[in-house]
Amino acid sequence: MNRRAGRRLFWAACLILALAGFFLSILSGPVKTTPGDLLRFVRDPGRVEAAIFIDLRLSRAVLAFLVGAALALAGAILQGYFRNPMADPFVVGVSSGASLGAVLAASLGFEAAAFGFSGPGLLAFASGLGIVSLVYVLSLRRGGFKVETVLLTGIAAGALASALTSFFLFMRSDSYDQAVFWLLGSFQLAEWGQVASVGPWFAVCLAAALWLARDMDLLALGDEAAQALGCPVGRVRKAFLGMSALLAALSVAVSGVIGFVGLVVPHWVRILIGPAHRPLFAASALAGGTFLLYCDLIARNLLAAELPIGVITAAVGAPFFLYLLHKKR
Amino acid sequence: MAPNVTEILFALGLGGQVVGATRFCDFPPEARSVKRIGGLVDPNIEVIRSLDPDLVIAFRGNPLRLVDRIGKLGLPVFVLDIGEGLEALFPLIAKIGRVTRSDDRAEALAAGLRRRLEAVDGVMAGAVTRPRVFVLLYGQGLWTCGGESYVDDLIGRAGGVNVAAALPKKWALYKRERIIEDDPDVIFILARSAADFAAGRKWLTQRAGVGGVAALRSGRVYELDEDSASRFGPRLLDVLDRMAGLLHPERFGGRP
Repeated sequence: MNRRAGRRLFWAACLILALAGFFLSILSGPVKTTPGDLLRFVRDPGRVEAAIFIDLRLSRAVLAFLVGAALALAGAILQGYFRNPMADPFVVGVSSGASLGAVLAASLGFEAAAFGFSGPGLLAFASGLGIVSLVYVLSLRRGGFKVETVLLTGIAAGALASALTSFFLFMRSDSYDQAVFWLLGSFQLAEWGQVASVGPWFAVCLAAALWLARDMDLLALGDEAAQALGCPVGRVRKAFLGMSALLAALSVAVSGVIGFVGLVVPHWVRILIGPAHRPLFAASALAGGTFLLYCDLIARNLLAAELPIGVITAAVGAPFFLYLLHKKR
Repeated sequence: MAPNVTEILFALGLGGQVVGATRFCDFPPEARSVKRIGGLVDPNIEVIRSLDPDLVIAFRGNPLRLVDRIGKLGLPVFVLDIGEGLEALFPLIAKIGRVTRSDDRAEALAAGLRRRLEAVDGVMAGAVTRPRVFVLLYGQGLWTCGGESYVDDLIGRAGGVNVAAALPKKWALYKRERIIEDDPDVIFILARSAADFAAGRKWLTQRAGVGGVAALRSGRVYELDEDSASRFGPRLLDVLDRMAGLLHPERFGGRP
């Protein structure tokens, strides 16, 4: 099978899986519903059905898809940015920083809300961006921009942020549910307001990433080579770092810390459709969204009680990742 | 969305109107046949919405964010908190009575409980000896009730002194050496069954390394029904009666 046909197959499969995922999400849940119920609802909408199908299930599915897409896109950007397959929103410290901000806000009772975000969401966003800027500045100071320095600084800053997060969670020992939410993620409280706050930003980042994808291809040759080929390396790097931070912080703000999506999905996609960044970004977003949609389906239907979604992403993602990695070698 | 609220609703004669309750809502026994909506920290929004209730009563322990989400679905939600001490039970019952439009029955229930409370207070008035009490929540180590817990208030009203009263918490893990130092005269074990109680007592005597304290040497180790004591509802008065009788048998005609 040639590459082009393979790509088409990949896109078709992803789209079909995504649509099927949305359909399944609307139909499954603790309240038993059949396709017949859905059809009846479409013909004659009832108040309770509207709340369950549209307000609870569809909003949740859309949010899970958006967050999955955002995390996978952030991962794809960071892997290209650092020319390192280990990079993802956690390595750079964004996710940990964002969760620290959120937990801090919850502990201090910070209630202000803006742009559709709750108080914790807002602070998550601010501290996520803050920590990635700190990492960026620190790694610049030590004589030029070195990828290793950024990675190591990010790991250290992220570790510090997660230690502080655990500390504040421990101080508020009465809020177990909050701890689970911020450490392992959940879409249990998804609502349209969150979709509206994440959606537009995600669209902007995706468009910008696709627009700058060529420059990312050049960066893969090394900064000096890219500069020589006419790529404004400094500005492009800043733009990508900002974008990835924004995407990760957005995700953490609405759904807590969800691991493994940003790391694994771009890898799958790269193995399947190749390393060119424009298709890679678009396909990672689609595949990431689909992946998280299915993970959330499992998280809310596997047991009577909801599982944190981070448990599922790791449990599903890790083995498949190992398999692909070894198959490739 | 909490067992004590369910219990109060049934005590107000509103059991027939309760359409959903948590999986912990098992008292009175009729409450077991009510549709389950999940647990205290994980009530299921979808199930709650499908029951289309006229009112959702949330209690401390229900995650606030989840309560907010239910409100955003357009369901009227009433949120109640636990307050400090046994006295908070009365406003709680009054509030539930008000939102369910059964003020009269709430007043009657509260008055009955008030009489029982005053009866115990009356007997205890002027008590000179106040046994030191340690409460064990059997399970994972030495969990006990701190000074901010209503159980601390129960102990005080029953004529005892909670050795862990200095802990500024509702429930806390106690240190072994502290118990040995405090040397409580009486130990209450909150247990779900006689077997649990026996296991708890055995654990205290043999494994926990606190076998030398006064209560264990004299055998003044008693069982308290965990469900009654851990739910902020009418059955706390049963717990109070039992505690008072066990701490001061002389004032209650010698019966345990």
